[in-house]
Amino acid sequence: MSMSAEKAQKYLNEPAIVCCRTEEGTIISADNLEDPEIFPDLVASGLLNIPSNCLKVGEVLGAKLVKTIDALTPLTPDLLEGVKVEDTKKVEIPKDAKAVLKVNKKAGDVITLEDLENPINFEKLQDSLLINLTEDVLTVGEVIGKKLIVDAPALTTVKPNMLEGYIKEMEVNNMPQVTSQGTLRIKIAEGKGIDIELPLFAPQPLQVPQVKQEAVSVKPVEKAKEEKEEYQEKEIRRLVRKHYKITEVKFGPETKIEGTTLYIRENICQDALKVDNLVKDIKIDIITPDKYNTYSETIMDVQPIATKEKGSKLGSGVTRVLDGVIVMVTGTDENGVQIGEFGSSEGILEENIMWGRPGCPDKGEIFIKTQVTIAAGTNMERVGPLAAHKATDYITQEIRDALKKVDDSLVVYTEEFVQKRRPGRKKVVIVKEIMGQGAMHDNIILPVEPVGVLGGKPNVDLGNVPVVLSPLEVLDGGIHALTCIGPASKECSRHYWREPLIIEAMNDPEIDLCGVVFVGSPQINSEKFYVSERLGMLIEAMDVDGAIVTTEGFGNNHIDFASHIEQIGMRGVPVVGMSFCAVQGALVVGNEYMKYMIDLNKSEQGIENEILGCNTLCKEDAIRALAMLKTVMAGEEVKAPERQWNPNVKENNLELIEKTYNIKIERVENETSIPMSQKRREKYSTK
Amino acid sequence: MGKVYRFFLKMHVGAPSKPIVDVGDKVKRGMLIAEPEGLGAKIHTSVTGKVVKVTDSFIDIEADEVQTKDYVKIKECSSIQEAVFEAGIVGAGGAGFPTHIKLQSKLDDGYIIANCVECEPILNHNIYLIEKEAAKVIRGIKYAMEATNAKKAYIAIKAKNLNAINALKKEIKDDSIEIKEMPDMYPMGEERAVIHQIFGKWLEPTQLPIEANCVVLNTETLYNIACAVEDRKPVIDKDITVAGKLKKGKGPHVLLKVPIGTPIKDLIDMYGGIDGEYGEIIIGGPYTGKAEDLDESYVTKTSGGAIVTIPLPEFKGKLGLLVCACGADEQRLRDIAAKMKSQVVAVTKCKNVVEVRGANKCLTPGDCPGQVQAVMYLKKQGAERILIANCNDCTNTVMGCAPKLNIPVYHHVDHALRTMDMPIPRRLPIDKK
Repeated sequence: MSMSAEKAQKYLNEPAIVCCRTEEGTIISADNLEDPEIFPDLVASGLLNIPSNCLKVGEVLGAKLVKTIDALTPLTPDLLEGVKVEDTKKVEIPKDAKAVLKVNKKAGDVITLEDLENPINFEKLQDSLLINLTEDVLTVGEVIGKKLIVDAPALTTVKPNMLEGYIKEMEVNNMPQVTSQGTLRIKIAEGKGIDIELPLFAPQPLQVPQVKQEAVSVKPVEKAKEEKEEYQEKEIRRLVRKHYKITEVKFGPETKIEGTTLYIRENICQDALKVDNLVKDIKIDIITPDKYNTYSETIMDVQPIATKEKGSKLGSGVTRVLDGVIVMVTGTDENGVQIGEFGSSEGILEENIMWGRPGCPDKGEIFIKTQVTIAAGTNMERVGPLAAHKATDYITQEIRDALKKVDDSLVVYTEEFVQKRRPGRKKVVIVKEIMGQGAMHDNIILPVEPVGVLGGKPNVDLGNVPVVLSPLEVLDGGIHALTCIGPASKECSRHYWREPLIIEAMNDPEIDLCGVVFVGSPQINSEKFYVSERLGMLIEAMDVDGAIVTTEGFGNNHIDFASHIEQIGMRGVPVVGMSFCAVQGALVVGNEYMKYMIDLNKSEQGIENEILGCNTLCKEDAIRALAMLKTVMAGEEVKAPERQWNPNVKENNLELIEKTYNIKIERVENETSIPMSQKRREKYSTK
Repeated sequence: MGKVYRFFLKMHVGAPSKPIVDVGDKVKRGMLIAEPEGLGAKIHTSVTGKVVKVTDSFIDIEADEVQTKDYVKIKECSSIQEAVFEAGIVGAGGAGFPTHIKLQSKLDDGYIIANCVECEPILNHNIYLIEKEAAKVIRGIKYAMEATNAKKAYIAIKAKNLNAINALKKEIKDDSIEIKEMPDMYPMGEERAVIHQIFGKWLEPTQLPIEANCVVLNTETLYNIACAVEDRKPVIDKDITVAGKLKKGKGPHVLLKVPIGTPIKDLIDMYGGIDGEYGEIIIGGPYTGKAEDLDESYVTKTSGGAIVTIPLPEFKGKLGLLVCACGADEQRLRDIAAKMKSQVVAVTKCKNVVEVRGANKCLTPGDCPGQVQAVMYLKKQGAERILIANCNDCTNTVMGCAPKLNIPVYHHVDHALRTMDMPIPRRLPIDKK
């Protein structure tokens, strides 16, 4: 099918191939050309072979065909006359280059980019004494759009005194002078919107100049303002985390913390069992590193053990957290069916956990692992997994209560998170899509305690509509993840507690992170679009300059993910998407706004390998996403991806970022760093 | 009224040709419309139509609505020289010397030199032709060799044109034709500069290449020879480069086989017309081309380019002109100075300039004889700035002295190259010399 003229403009550098039989003498236009989007398929199916001398779309438009050719013939130089040999190179003049007029201009003319000389010849022009690039010559960025107040021939360097709206700083500074006669003398060389207000009786004339200086410098030096003030950081709120070290976890008569030992009440499970009648059995295993090689049912969640200090609300104030220990929820139903969908991570623990991922345990930590058995068949209902979590939270809450009582002397270190806004910087929002299909896919938003249950609202009950959290609310355990999607891409509760994208974005001085929007992924398509349209309206109202949309999981939820991106993109907001895709999670849907994608895959084969957290968002991904968003917001193009998944793209991008920012980015490990389970050997091994 | 094509009667070295058609005559593409008297060349119409005007200097033909690629073939000829004469082939590189005369030379131990240097910046159509039609260009060389009995041919081409060189290499089947790679300098394509580069010897400006036992022919001329011999096609089309301030992009855009006589304005309009304010329309390359009136310009057998430039920089002061044989002549420099609104206070010539048969020639094109005297002379005459027309090497010398004398330097190609965002000539890099 042929292309529209607009589309042809977009594909000027793609191969030019006629879509239909084209007659000799035809002047080639977009109508005659095949849409390059389908070339890869044509090539793959053997219908098309693009020769090396095939011309580009931009080269053939307007050229004349010298012989009649069949459909799908690549246009080569021998078939055409009037080919543009070189692409009309659009010369980019850097904004910080010195401004030299290329053409003769008159007073009153406004300077445009086309009026300015290409810097490639500056050295020679200066050498020829035709220009003199002194300090006071303004830059391209400073002069564009400004009006000249003098006639200036070509090859004139543009200086402040030639432009309207620039007042020589010297004059401003020296302007108001109180003479010895006691009169005030104000001399204004050039100026606009000057508003001078003088007290009629100035008891001390010397005060006058001070007042005036500000009033006078109204418009003149916009640029100086930009450079000096740049942007102001505004602190919004703070969150303090007090860390308490735990080196040993034991059962004892009561739940308490003594020094670095955590005691858990021996009979606690009896009470936990009563929390929900769907819970048929619960037991606790204390997994110390020497027991990492024991069997476990599928891991439903990994949670920090943290509590708010009295008077502190989640997302601000003080949070206490235990280091060296985490809570792990595992379980099956009465029939022994794993509580998980599309993969589960039951098996030897150390073979199924990607250590150190934001949502996973770190190697060396002790797990307080609950194994919950829920009523038969409820594993696929909302109530089932929720019951398992509630029962576990009963135990965690008892530890939290103990933690509240601990003396401050046990604090090993204190961490402080400061949420700042940066007006003047590009305003960015992070949108996190979370699962909300019901069944086992739900989250509890904003419980009272970090990753607690009480007080929180399930996003499914909220209709999955967008809910805005502050970055600190997210990092303070504002999301309790009940999600049971494939382990490798699942964001456990701990993931939000350590969410790398939020941390990176919040601390990035180049952007203004305004908030984090959580949006659920409903089961039914009509609901999905209801939700994503609300997201679009929310984004519209926020007036952001850029957005990053992340999702866990893959497949069904990619429908909403794509729709979210579309809703944001169609409002003219640059948007970067982050998801596990690679091979197995390749996007099932797409739209024209899904141009800027970050693949979260870390697995060797590009698959959901059922290793907890393997393909979740890590710091390296956050850095890539932010770099990409900034690039897009700056108006630069991002190269289209290759057709086949190619992990090198990611590596190249990381190297590019390292080079540009002069930083070292740690690459996380993948499943090859842990022992291979029998299941993996059977299911996935290709070697 | 249909579109009018204009055929100048002097598109070559020699006397104007004599019209053999009258107003009202119907003509067909390829038909002879003017014959040479003495030194000259035949002229054929590139369009089918009706003669509407005949003067001493041109024939205007109003083209029919429908035009074809076909043409009236030249007669069957018994020799290559005859075919070349019948086809009206002249040097397509710009000089327009009748090619059949060149091919009458007997080069028993001599050489054909294919001048594929295309040393004017911006112009690109010769290299493009080679990339597309290398085989036919090579066959043109073979015919030229056959005609002159030359045993050997050299192809002079800039080393930077890799694709063209590869295309030629693919077509060269024996060692009678050899590629000589040239440095990327102006005026490397000047006939005697090419000979110097290949044989290491300078011809006197009065001498013709035959004195070095060779005949130099331009790329397109060679191609035209092949067309005349193989297709019996007269010279009715011309390759041309269109570039500059055009609405559809500055190019350079190459147009192959533009009918001779086509108004230049049509070519400009093909690219959307002139984009805003412009300085000049240069017909030819930036160095040797001339600014022409758009409404009076037509494609000839020697047209190389049409370049729409940005306006010239204003300098309302005293300007000295330095004329060089390799670039603009005095008239052209005065033209530019007037457009710059400058007052010309002095004119001098590079000391290598010699006048041969009314044209400026350089003793050693591309090899500077020193310029300090000329610059000092201009300064002495009151020039505050100078406008030069030198080759790359001489420009380098000027740059060695003028700025030291506090004399700013314009080059007459600056505005064309600045239009294209291409580097302007000034000092040469030290290591390349």
